[in-house]
Amino acid sequence: MSIQTPAATALAVETKGLTKRFGARAAIDGVDLQVPQGSAFGFLGPNGAGKTTMIRTLLGLTHATSGTMRLLGYPVPAERAQALQRVGAIVEEPRFHDQLTGRQNLHIIAAARGPEADARIAPALERVRLSERADDKVKSYSLGMRQRLGVARCLLADPTLLILDEPTNGLDPAGIQEFRIMIRAMVEEEGRTVFLSSHLLSEVERICDHAAIVDLGHVIAQGPIAELAGGADRHEVIVGVDDEDRALTILHASDLVADARRSDDGLRVVLAAGPETAAAVNAALVGAGIAVARLEPVRRSLEQRFLDVTSKLRADEGEAAGVVA
Amino acid sequence: MNTTIALRMIGADFLKIRRRIGNVSVALFFACGPLIIFFIVRTAQHSSNPTNYGPAGGIAGFTDGIRVLALLFGALAAILIGTDAGAGDASAGVFRDLVVTGRSRLALFASRVPAALLLSWLVALVGFIVLLIGTFALSSGSPNPSGSTVIDGLLWMLLTTGVVSVITVGLASLTTNRAVTIAIFIGWEFIASPLIASISSLGNSRRLDLSQAFAHFSPIHLGDRSMNVSMGTAEAIIVLAVWVVVFVGLGAWRTRTMDT
Repeated sequence: MSIQTPAATALAVETKGLTKRFGARAAIDGVDLQVPQGSAFGFLGPNGAGKTTMIRTLLGLTHATSGTMRLLGYPVPAERAQALQRVGAIVEEPRFHDQLTGRQNLHIIAAARGPEADARIAPALERVRLSERADDKVKSYSLGMRQRLGVARCLLADPTLLILDEPTNGLDPAGIQEFRIMIRAMVEEEGRTVFLSSHLLSEVERICDHAAIVDLGHVIAQGPIAELAGGADRHEVIVGVDDEDRALTILHASDLVADARRSDDGLRVVLAAGPETAAAVNAALVGAGIAVARLEPVRRSLEQRFLDVTSKLRADEGEAAGVVA
Repeated sequence: MNTTIALRMIGADFLKIRRRIGNVSVALFFACGPLIIFFIVRTAQHSSNPTNYGPAGGIAGFTDGIRVLALLFGALAAILIGTDAGAGDASAGVFRDLVVTGRSRLALFASRVPAALLLSWLVALVGFIVLLIGTFALSSGSPNPSGSTVIDGLLWMLLTTGVVSVITVGLASLTTNRAVTIAIFIGWEFIASPLIASISSLGNSRRLDLSQAFAHFSPIHLGDRSMNVSMGTAEAIIVLAVWVVVFVGLGAWRTRTMDT
């Protein structure tokens, strides 16, 4: 069996209106997703958001209810076999035949992938630093070793795309750091695409350069991490003044300001236009005789952005449910 | 999928089931242990009272032994192995990893069948060797079975253990649970089936029973009140084929359609 070159495409994963229902409940609902080739892409969401269902649907482990999807340019499920030739995946925790050694477990998968996968067993074990324990039974492996063996199993495909579901679950800090370095190397040095689901914001922020935030089966936002964290269309500044009441009155009356409110560290002011309007807001306050001691842009983390969008979605869903009730 | 990949996949499935040492040990015990006990007891009886008890081996020993092996303990060994082949991937949680290779689910199912068949027959053959040793070594001058009788017995044992093994691969792939499969099949084959066969009012419908079809091909007279619903050879072949096709079909369907 010869491995075919993936179809030429800029997107490693592309879905349109992808929906998976279990009865009346939609685990994923009309998801449009674009994962750029050669990126580390974080699929970020709280527990129960639909991350694993999305991965299982992409891989054909469960059937989509509706929508279309392409892996490495191949339509799935129509050309699933070709698409998966260059895809490696760990779904939930990696599982193995415990009665077999690590190497034998890889042979099992290599047998299904084709003869060329056999030649990749030794390098894959070397890559995840399991060569010395490769002939021990898997039942003697720690969780971290199993995770690494799971990655080795992915590497048997010489994957263009790696799909990893919560890959750092159960790893100790050293293991997480080692894993992070390995993923970055796969992306930066080997040009692979890594699609990584996680509920750990810091992990996604450190490993990935693109991300999608998912909750309740919907993709709420996606794009480069920097844009997601900043909120490309949201410019917010913290303003320290001597008279907050008067300042709020002026700010609420100004066309330059979309929103202004008190916070523990001063007034939080959302600018109506770009960051250049901060100077005009400052001038307006100073012109009204208010002393401005501080004016600085809010640097939002992905975590803040994540909490903003997921809590808003949950509030909206709650309201909708209330209206229906 | 070409022959090379098919053979590699069968080899991989064979590796999985043969390396489950506990399961294979129990299967080997079923195939050999009861025969060894049988020969020890019969030898002791013959030694203590040769007038009433004939030699442990010879034709009588072979006849009793092949029945034990083909219909009871060899079949039990085949159930254990077939079940492991059918449900092993799902039980271990690795079926999804096999699916992710892009290999068709039907191919993943299909490779289990010859692997289970091969191991079941190897285990049964070990039992058969024990039977032959006992038969010829303990004949004490009584007539030994002819070559054709031995071959007929071997073929019959391969038929019963092979069919049972394949059916349990299908059933286990359907249930994806070892314990449930073993309970269902043992319950049917060793409890329900003899009961059904003994209910004469069921008439010809008893011909659909797997054990009756096995009995038809027996090279020995089973002399069992529950095993003699008469049927023709074509009928017996059809009954066996239906059992195999139904359970293999169900197992393949489940493997192809289940969420993992």
